[in-house]
Amino acid sequence: MAAAALSWALRAARQVLPSPCPGQVRSYYVDWRMLRDVKRRKLAYEYADERLRINAIRKNSILPKELQEVADKEIAALPRDSCPVRIRNRCVLTSRPRGVRRRWRLSRIVFRHFADHAQMSGVQRAMW
Amino acid sequence: KSTASKDSTTEGASKRQEGTAGTPKQKLLEIIGNMKVEVSYRKKLQELKASESKKQAMNRLEGPNGEGPQRTTEDLQRLNPELVKAASAVASSLPLNKKQTESELLAQLRRHEETTDKQRRVGTVNIRNVISEMTVKRQSPAQRGVRISRRISLEFDEDGQRLRPERFSSQSFDSRSLKEGKRLNIFTKASTEPERALETVSSPTIWDLEFAKEIAALTAQPPRNGFEEMIQWTKEGILWEFPIDNEVGMDDDAEFHEHIFLEKHLEGFPKEGPIRHFMELVICGLSKNPYLSVKQKIEHIEWFEKYFEEKKEFLQEI
Repeated sequence: MAAAALSWALRAARQVLPSPCPGQVRSYYVDWRMLRDVKRRKLAYEYADERLRINAIRKNSILPKELQEVADKEIAALPRDSCPVRIRNRCVLTSRPRGVRRRWRLSRIVFRHFADHAQMSGVQRAMW
Repeated sequence: KSTASKDSTTEGASKRQEGTAGTPKQKLLEIIGNMKVEVSYRKKLQELKASESKKQAMNRLEGPNGEGPQRTTEDLQRLNPELVKAASAVASSLPLNKKQTESELLAQLRRHEETTDKQRRVGTVNIRNVISEMTVKRQSPAQRGVRISRRISLEFDEDGQRLRPERFSSQSFDSRSLKEGKRLNIFTKASTEPERALETVSSPTIWDLEFAKEIAALTAQPPRNGFEEMIQWTKEGILWEFPIDNEVGMDDDAEFHEHIFLEKHLEGFPKEGPIRHFMELVICGLSKNPYLSVKQKIEHIEWFEKYFEEKKEFLQEI
């Protein structure tokens, strides 16, 4: 179990992005927290349909309550990382958990850095 | 010697045309009259057809001239025996000077065969034909100056329209139009390639794939200009294809009624009770959903069916 997880993690860490681009080439995730976040996103994607359906049974006033209790237990039995609530929108470049602008998926510091170097399309310093 | 015989064949041809009778003979005579040094496959086919028909005619006639063509056996072996028989039959059917006409016909055939062999070996490119059509183009110094300046600077108006509109593609071809002229036969059709391609590889091995990837990585030059960059982006999928197709990636072939009227999938459920009520709500929601395909909707309903099947015993206790 641990070996499988380790091999999975190693394979994930060694993902090579397509190379012929003049910018930075990143072959690893920034840190382990980012890796864990990636794992959670993948699991959430896999179990999304099931969770939706079981929740539709649970949040219901028509079906009998016993059925809903059974559904409660079922959804609790799913892997913990499959719930979308555990996903954190981290910065894509620095893995910073806070201060992340959702449109660019970047933390405020990185965003400011690129915008000042005119590498963000359509972004300008505000002045009014 | 060949020109003399050619003249006599043309004389013979003119005389022959007077004494014609029957359609296979007429065909053959026309063909012989039209025979030239330039070879075309169509005429060869016509000749073969005519010789077939002539063979039938000869079998009907079957004169005493069956043993005629014994002259130069090696030449005649190169020639098509049907053509030889046709030649002898023609010679026999004609009124005057049978042996001479026969020899002339055979000489024509021999020349024909020689030229086809030569052309088959060398290919149909005749350099003389190619060069004869080319001429040296002369430019007036004024025009030359204009052209050079045009090449150096593309001058634009304020609006971005070109100052000098391009009329010069039609002018350069003034002396000779594009549609006239003899065919040069430089470009041959690649007709045999698709047949060969199907024969070779059944399934590419890993080494082949790696090799292909290596070659693609080596030959992928960085884009020289904005157009090539955009082409690369379109290939990768970063840039959409224009004009924008709203239904890219959405291959939903189902009609609207398959999306909306989903009640026929509710057959596995009991007709009364809260489950039916619940499933009807589910179906109402699905019918209003434009984002799922019909397959996904059916899967959704089937999942519920399975789930309630499993819980059946539990439900009956209640």
